Amino acid sequence: MTTPAHTGAPGGVDVPVAAPARHLYVHLPFCAHRCGYCAFVVETGGLDRRDDYIAAVICEVEQRCAEIGVLDTIYLGGGTPTLMRPRRIARLLRALADRTARAAEVTVEANPETVDGAQLDALRAAGVTRVSLGAQSFRPRVLERLERRATAEQVEAAVRCARRAGFDSVGIDLLFAVPGQTAADLEGDIARALALGVDHVSWYELEIKPGTALERMGAAPPDEDDAADAYERIVDALTAAGFEWYETANFARPGHRARHNMAYWTAADHVGVGVGAVGTAGGLRRRNAPGVDRYVAALRAGREPAHAVEALDADTRRRERWMLGLRLADGVDTSRVGPPDHPVALDDLEDAGMLVRDGARVRLTHRARFVQNAVAGRLMDFAA
Amino acid sequence: MNGVTEQTIRNFCIIAHIDHGKSTLADRILQITGAVSEREMRDQILDSMDLERERGITIKAQAVRVHYTASDGVTYQLNLIDTPGHVDFSYEVSRSLAACEGALLVVDASQGIEAQTLANVYLAIESDLEIIPVLNKIDLPQADPELHGRAVADLIGDDPDNVLRISAKTGEGVADVLEAIVARIPPPEGEPAAPLRALIFDSVYDQYRGVVAFVRIVDGGIRSGDKLYAMQTGLSIPADQIGIMSPRMVPVERLDAGETGYIVTGLKAVGDLRVGDTLTLAHNRAAEPLPGYRDVKPMVFCGLFPVDADDYPDLRDALEKLSLNDASLVWEPETSQALGFGFRCGFLGLLHMDIVRERLEREYNLELLATTPNVEYQVRTTSGDEVEVHSPAELPAPNSTEVIREPYVRCTVLVPKDHIGAVMELCQERRGTFVTMEPIENRQQIIYDMPLAEIVMDFYDQLKSRTRGYASLDYDLVGYRESPLVKLDVLLAGDPVDALSMIVHKDLAYARGKALVERLQKTIPRQMFEVPIQAAIGGKIIARETVKARRKDVLAKCYGGDISRKRKLLEKQKEGKKRMKQVGRIEVPQEAFLSVLTIQDGAKK
Repeated sequence: MTTPAHTGAPGGVDVPVAAPARHLYVHLPFCAHRCGYCAFVVETGGLDRRDDYIAAVICEVEQRCAEIGVLDTIYLGGGTPTLMRPRRIARLLRALADRTARAAEVTVEANPETVDGAQLDALRAAGVTRVSLGAQSFRPRVLERLERRATAEQVEAAVRCARRAGFDSVGIDLLFAVPGQTAADLEGDIARALALGVDHVSWYELEIKPGTALERMGAAPPDEDDAADAYERIVDALTAAGFEWYETANFARPGHRARHNMAYWTAADHVGVGVGAVGTAGGLRRRNAPGVDRYVAALRAGREPAHAVEALDADTRRRERWMLGLRLADGVDTSRVGPPDHPVALDDLEDAGMLVRDGARVRLTHRARFVQNAVAGRLMDFAA
Repeated sequence: MNGVTEQTIRNFCIIAHIDHGKSTLADRILQITGAVSEREMRDQILDSMDLERERGITIKAQAVRVHYTASDGVTYQLNLIDTPGHVDFSYEVSRSLAACEGALLVVDASQGIEAQTLANVYLAIESDLEIIPVLNKIDLPQADPELHGRAVADLIGDDPDNVLRISAKTGEGVADVLEAIVARIPPPEGEPAAPLRALIFDSVYDQYRGVVAFVRIVDGGIRSGDKLYAMQTGLSIPADQIGIMSPRMVPVERLDAGETGYIVTGLKAVGDLRVGDTLTLAHNRAAEPLPGYRDVKPMVFCGLFPVDADDYPDLRDALEKLSLNDASLVWEPETSQALGFGFRCGFLGLLHMDIVRERLEREYNLELLATTPNVEYQVRTTSGDEVEVHSPAELPAPNSTEVIREPYVRCTVLVPKDHIGAVMELCQERRGTFVTMEPIENRQQIIYDMPLAEIVMDFYDQLKSRTRGYASLDYDLVGYRESPLVKLDVLLAGDPVDALSMIVHKDLAYARGKALVERLQKTIPRQMFEVPIQAAIGGKIIARETVKARRKDVLAKCYGGDISRKRKLLEKQKEGKKRMKQVGRIEVPQEAFLSVLTIQDGAKK
């Protein structure tokens, strides 16, 4: 067992020496419309503030330069980042250029209806290596329910253009457990998703969150068995097609895992800039406040934008590492993460065929990955 | 005698069905007589405990003295002795009645007479009390004082014109009530010169004073500092402090014949003092004690277990503290294979059980699991021993059991005529034996003898739901009867769970077993593994259901901004599990242990 650069705190938790983060998240909040299931920090008006916003984000990066090291990954999320148009994204990436590693992964989330071939070419030229296209579904009825504007044809066109533009990875996002989504809808989505020939698929169970249009209309999620049927079907179909189910909701062809997201799941330090952005570094989780105007005003005046900080103690971080690591096909590296609160439960769960131990690694069996919360609850004392 | 003679004393109580306005009327009397100033006035001042206040019921009887100058110009001493309004506490009603010469019978003018009203009226008539009928809530639009006034008059054999019509809420007519108390209730008739005889009609534990006894002086008098002697228990009690409730405790120098008051006894637990005992003077004893009360015995038992085994000593302390003030609460240690260490507790009834459990959880901050309540069985074994059984686990094996007897109650239901069928059907289903039936005003009084075990189940809920809320219920223990009873066991994942066992009539065992496993199947959440649930009698499986394994329990999306939220979700999930008990590999929610209470619908099929 090697000893990385950390101090052995009680309970075997590693407390990293605060090194600058190698992962940066940038939140680009502008959207043309708030979708029916969306509870993110977005703003649907005031597009004339986009230049000011990019300038402010660059200011925040400069303000926090001590936290940001040589970046291995950059993720531009939204919102609808592609609503920023390629030139603003290029401006941002230029500002980050001298702290971006040569082989960095630079991801942009894209709404298929907002990009054409020329724009994707421009993004590629600006240094973007990876696009994640928000499809959510290919079925008109389901798209309508979600208030999504991109049609199946637009998604297919965007994937084709992205391929031509030469990105290293092209991925799509999809949803299941949408109220009213039938088994036939799901089969249709699976077939079309596979036919696209993308490198990466994120397929999420829909959460009906407070404050969304779906919640207001009283939409009910499907019951556990129906949702489980859909989930199992998705996992089976994608793995059969050569995708690796490498994280709870994520599937990749070999070599196409999202490196930025892997940083979250392995609890690597990361910095978030922009309104509503969240980052965790050096045991502190920082969450910027929403509100583009106040954000821009603060940075223009040379002040820090409004934000909240949550201090994470060693036990909380260890529990989070377990919680996140159990999501991964690779599981948890106990030599790095430390033991669970209930090591005996490891034996019980292993006997019950829920997990396997492979040296210092603990990973969930195929079946157990569907019930990972219950497993996490057995291993760890999550307590407020 | 403080200028007071027995002639100017009136001792009375208020009897009423729950929610008919007894406490409001008591408050109003305190207010009108100036015992409580406007500023001090808070609603239902006599119900001092929060829990009582919330549930709108009175548990502990108290005596409050007020002074009232009547229209004849004379100032009277009125002693209001509060009575509980719930069937579980009917024994306390009879205690209070023995300390009075009169009773206000308060009936809701919109609802009329209820079963408990009847029961208490009969008690008052038996105790030879002067009854003043009062229709309350005449301000309500749905009040029908004509109809209910006639009925109340019929019930007590009085003239309908003598029925007072009031609204305790607005104060209308309350002055007439005070005049009626003075005019109609006779003064006490004790012998002031005879040796002391004081009836203990209630007691409370006070954390600073110890046990405080509430007494009615029948003959003679007590001076502060007297040495007292309890005639039944033989205890010597120094009357270090005596006083009256006004409504706060006010020390006095002497209490005389006809008066009520309190005595600070210096005792440490209410159980040391027997309510119903007669106090006399140590140096000048009375020849005969006053007639006492029958002993109160717990009727309903259940196991209480701490969710967290480390809380066991705290639970014991809490029960000890509650017992200081509640002599009818009994408990002893119990060990369950499924639930660990806990206590088997005995209660007067279901409400009493609920109140105790809630106080333990709320005032002592304990997380508890309660097992299904059961009654006390009497078993004669083949070797001729008589055994009292308070839990299914204690039931001797069938081959060494000669006879099992269970407690029966006489159950009085009062219901509008169009629900008679529903009530009779319910009583028959619950092994009831018809006794009699007669009309009372526009309703029917139906009397059945029923096993108490059937009442302890969801009988009251069923009665209410099948009569659209119109039925009212009262019951009284009538003795033990032999029954063919068997123990029904429940197995989770193949292992018997002692805390889920129940004692049932053999003819109902199959249906109840089936209903119980169905109920448990709905109550026990899906686990990581499939959980078979079986019901068995003497090792023979009679019913089976399965809780399916969980198939999906994941957090869909988890990126940088989601981590805290997801962690909190797991924390919440953990919080939810606190109400669960780990039984082997299975997490069983608290409700499961009470499932037996609500299986009746299933058993009906």
